[in-house]
Amino acid sequence: MKETVTVIGLSGSPRRRGNTEQLLDRFLEGASDAGGITEKVVLSTLEYSSCKGCNACHKTGSCIMDDAVRELYDRMLAADCIIITSPIYTMGITTELKSFIDRAHYLWVRHFILGSHIISPEGKKYRRGYFLSTAGMDQEDVFDTAYPMLKALFNILGFTHCVGVLARNMDGYGGITGHPTALDDAYRKGSEAVKGIMAGRPCLEKVKR
Amino acid sequence: MKPIRVLAIAGSPRRHGNSELLLDWVLDEMKQDPDVSVTKVILNDADITPCRGCNACEKLNACINHDGMDTLHDQILDADCIILSAPIYCMSICAQAKALVDRAQVFRSRKYVLKLPVVPPERIGKRFGIFISTAGQDWDYVFDAAIPVVKCFYHVIEVKNRDLSYLMIRSVDEKGAVMSHPTAKEEALSLSRSVLQTMKERLG
Repeated sequence: MKETVTVIGLSGSPRRRGNTEQLLDRFLEGASDAGGITEKVVLSTLEYSSCKGCNACHKTGSCIMDDAVRELYDRMLAADCIIITSPIYTMGITTELKSFIDRAHYLWVRHFILGSHIISPEGKKYRRGYFLSTAGMDQEDVFDTAYPMLKALFNILGFTHCVGVLARNMDGYGGITGHPTALDDAYRKGSEAVKGIMAGRPCLEKVKR
Repeated sequence: MKPIRVLAIAGSPRRHGNSELLLDWVLDEMKQDPDVSVTKVILNDADITPCRGCNACEKLNACINHDGMDTLHDQILDADCIILSAPIYCMSICAQAKALVDRAQVFRSRKYVLKLPVVPPERIGKRFGIFISTAGQDWDYVFDAAIPVVKCFYHVIEVKNRDLSYLMIRSVDEKGAVMSHPTAKEEALSLSRSVLQTMKERLG
């Protein structure tokens, strides 16, 4: 029985309190009601630069840029549950989120080149990562391109990628509040995540792609 | 004939790296033709801030963000051929290139919300694109997630799928690695010649 469950939710939208952030808020409410210690981070309010591709981290394992990114990754590495969220812009995640994910390269280097960042398979089993997203279009494949990036991020941070909530056709529904199930699903997932981690249950609803 | 206007956008934050080298090979080959005029933009220096998702362009037919996109917007419309080069970072185009692609929202609003022409009707079907990319990984699916994003960009700027070509080289990571790739340079030169040939036929 794990008593303290820390949950960090990242809002990757440039728009405040839009569809995606509302979805995240409901997830965090569910998590908090179940006893989790939750925190929301809004990427658009942080100061950070995009990766410069300098590859300096290939030698040192550290990023030459000293900004909000490192501190946030440190806290995410220490969390029990992370939620990554972004609306879909031009068939992909937002620039804000892509920029943040690109900056994780030094962690990839630590793991795959330097061997200094160890991901314990046992720890990964119980740590949960979720992706929540919304899209204006009602196209079935609209979320597809986000997955390879999320898969890489969850892998490198050592989280099991659990099935999150995807809500498309925001244009048709007139926003997330018009969607029949998404907000309730998010609340339920948040609650289940914390209860599962507390009980020491691995996530069974894993993302297969 | 009128010059063929080529707009080349180097999307990598790294100067003279692999994706920019491929771009330069394509451009050098095209420049040998006196009918071609090339403008090259270094995206990292072009001051393109991310889309704010405000949707103001759906009403204003213009972006409320005033930055390097003011110029690049017109350059994209004026060109006959738009070449975008961008490396793959973490399974998709680098964030700098995604910022540009997202700012094309103004063209999408113009086309689909305001139902206004993006380019004059006589230029439709006479716009061309080349997407150039490099990836450090050697996975055959490493470009897969970038392609729908890139297609969407070209679609809203009125470049048809059939007129969009790809030059994607994987397994090149360290700076300059593409120079020792067995076929990359020949692929770049041959693509450059074939796109130019098609443009001459279509625009002639």
